[in-house]
Amino acid sequence: MPIHDQSYRHYGGGRGVPGRSWAVIAWAGIRSFMRKRAFMGLMLFALSPFVVRAVQFWIASQYPQASVLAPGPETFRQFLEQQDFFVFVITIWIGSGLIANDRRANALQIYLSKPLMRTEYIAGKLAILFVFLSLVTLAPALLLLLLKIAFDGNFAFLKNNLFLIPAIVVGSLLQVMLASFTMLALSSLSKSARFVGIMYVGITFFTTAMFGALYAITGTSRVSWISVGANITQVVDVVFRLKPRYATPWQVSLLVIIALIVVSISILERRVRGVEVVT
Amino acid sequence: MSSTDTASTAGTASSASTPSTGPASTAGTPSPRSTSVISADHLSKWYGQVIGLNDVSVNVPAGVTGLLGPNGAGKSTFMKLITGQLKPSKGVVKVLGEPIWGNPGLYFRIGFCPEQDAFYERMTGLEWVRALVRLNGLGDKEADAAATRALTAVDLMEAANKKIGAYSKGMRQRVKMAQALVHDPQLLILDEPLSGMDPIGRRKTIRLIREWGRSGKSIVVSSHILHEIESMTSNILLINNGRILAEGDVHQIRELIDEHPHTIYVRAEDPRRLAREFLGGVDDVRSMKFEPNAVVVETGKPDAFYARLTEMAASGEFGAIDEVTSPDDNLQAVFQYLVK
Repeated sequence: MPIHDQSYRHYGGGRGVPGRSWAVIAWAGIRSFMRKRAFMGLMLFALSPFVVRAVQFWIASQYPQASVLAPGPETFRQFLEQQDFFVFVITIWIGSGLIANDRRANALQIYLSKPLMRTEYIAGKLAILFVFLSLVTLAPALLLLLLKIAFDGNFAFLKNNLFLIPAIVVGSLLQVMLASFTMLALSSLSKSARFVGIMYVGITFFTTAMFGALYAITGTSRVSWISVGANITQVVDVVFRLKPRYATPWQVSLLVIIALIVVSISILERRVRGVEVVT
Repeated sequence: MSSTDTASTAGTASSASTPSTGPASTAGTPSPRSTSVISADHLSKWYGQVIGLNDVSVNVPAGVTGLLGPNGAGKSTFMKLITGQLKPSKGVVKVLGEPIWGNPGLYFRIGFCPEQDAFYERMTGLEWVRALVRLNGLGDKEADAAATRALTAVDLMEAANKKIGAYSKGMRQRVKMAQALVHDPQLLILDEPLSGMDPIGRRKTIRLIREWGRSGKSIVVSSHILHEIESMTSNILLINNGRILAEGDVHQIRELIDEHPHTIYVRAEDPRRLAREFLGGVDDVRSMKFEPNAVVVETGKPDAFYARLTEMAASGEFGAIDEVTSPDDNLQAVFQYLVK
């Protein structure tokens, strides 16, 4: 009878190199959300405006008498604005627990004792938000543009509005980046995903309400920079070559957006640590 | 192992008949050996105005090394520094010949088991270990095989598909060790791996650590209980108040320890029945007192007592023994003796 070796066996397989672990974090997160039926239902529902727009484009291209439905460059801006609500909901659903849950489970200490840099960890978490938010903004907007070309059977619309491609990319990315960074920073501040969600909703509504109140008092929209949402609206309007809807210079709104992202990165730098040092 | 802590500490350690068996070096200057897996040079860590580790210079050799010290001595700070989770306030720490701080590539060769639980309780042990080993760059199939191998190594394969939330304290410790071991690291760093385990779990874990040591791994294991460390290795590093007090052979330290009564807290299903057995026969128990669902024993022969306790737990005749811990009063007394 052969006697088998029961002692410890060393690993003989291959290994990755440092710098790629962010993809492991991202993929694990994406997979875990894709397994949730309710979340996938929300993602599908978030694409319903895309379906409506696609039908609109098709009717406009097939029936000349429906020219009132014919899309223009502003249609794409309107589509992105419609998606704001879904960006808000998906950001809360996905983002609130991304770091908070790891902090509650003390998982950061274990993660960061693996070949994983803090920047990779943050990049991985950001990628989860980026992927899902892009799937309801950037991807359908670009697809709509492709559908428009396909339904028309020519490139005339694209040639006349060539700025639409960078506009869609920049407008969507601004939306996605601001939501992702701010939510991830908030998620790193607490161990409770629920509390993070409430904070995000609170900040969004409070700044909008403040702007509304000041607008009602002063009668001018020069203070729109107070509202997180209004800043995005203002800058994306400019990106789409539309007249900005508020009196605040768009450069100020852009600065506020950049400042929010910088502050978020700073918070993440301080809070994402394997060991929390309280002095 | 060579102690190169501050002059005063090194001097105290040797003058107090310390167990320093390694070649003593000039105070403040480390004398690295080619086999040392960890070398610290004037390593200090402050938390604001509180000092966690105070100007420590030490070389930890390959093999199993016990890091021993009372609670708050600086063991965990040392562990966090050598795993690169804290940045030294001063000094340098090298692990496997390379600076550990900001060097994630080195983590391929290190496995860390933290003292605190760090789980997603809804995941199974297998899912958790598999997810973590993927951070080491292993693909899905390789990760699966490695996780299975690691869980088998810690004798947890039967519970691999149970949710971690349903694991006992011992199983939690073992699954943490599995994640530290899963990528087959050269150096294992185990922070209080026996804490809160029952006697059977302790025995299993000690056996595992010894086996890993024999298989060629270097292991640094921390504890505040000398007898735990002693059963794993004879090579120890004694730490107190953020300084290395002594290092080397455990037996000389043990002689000092045994002069002091040793307090052991045993939480059990039927502590009175256990207490009756403790008092019968062997004269290793000096006194006892009862606490809710527990008995606290003072012994002058901790070795004999622990051996007896393990046998009693294994026999199953005295009901479940849920937890065995040892307050470190006696160790503190030895430290004070060494410092004098």
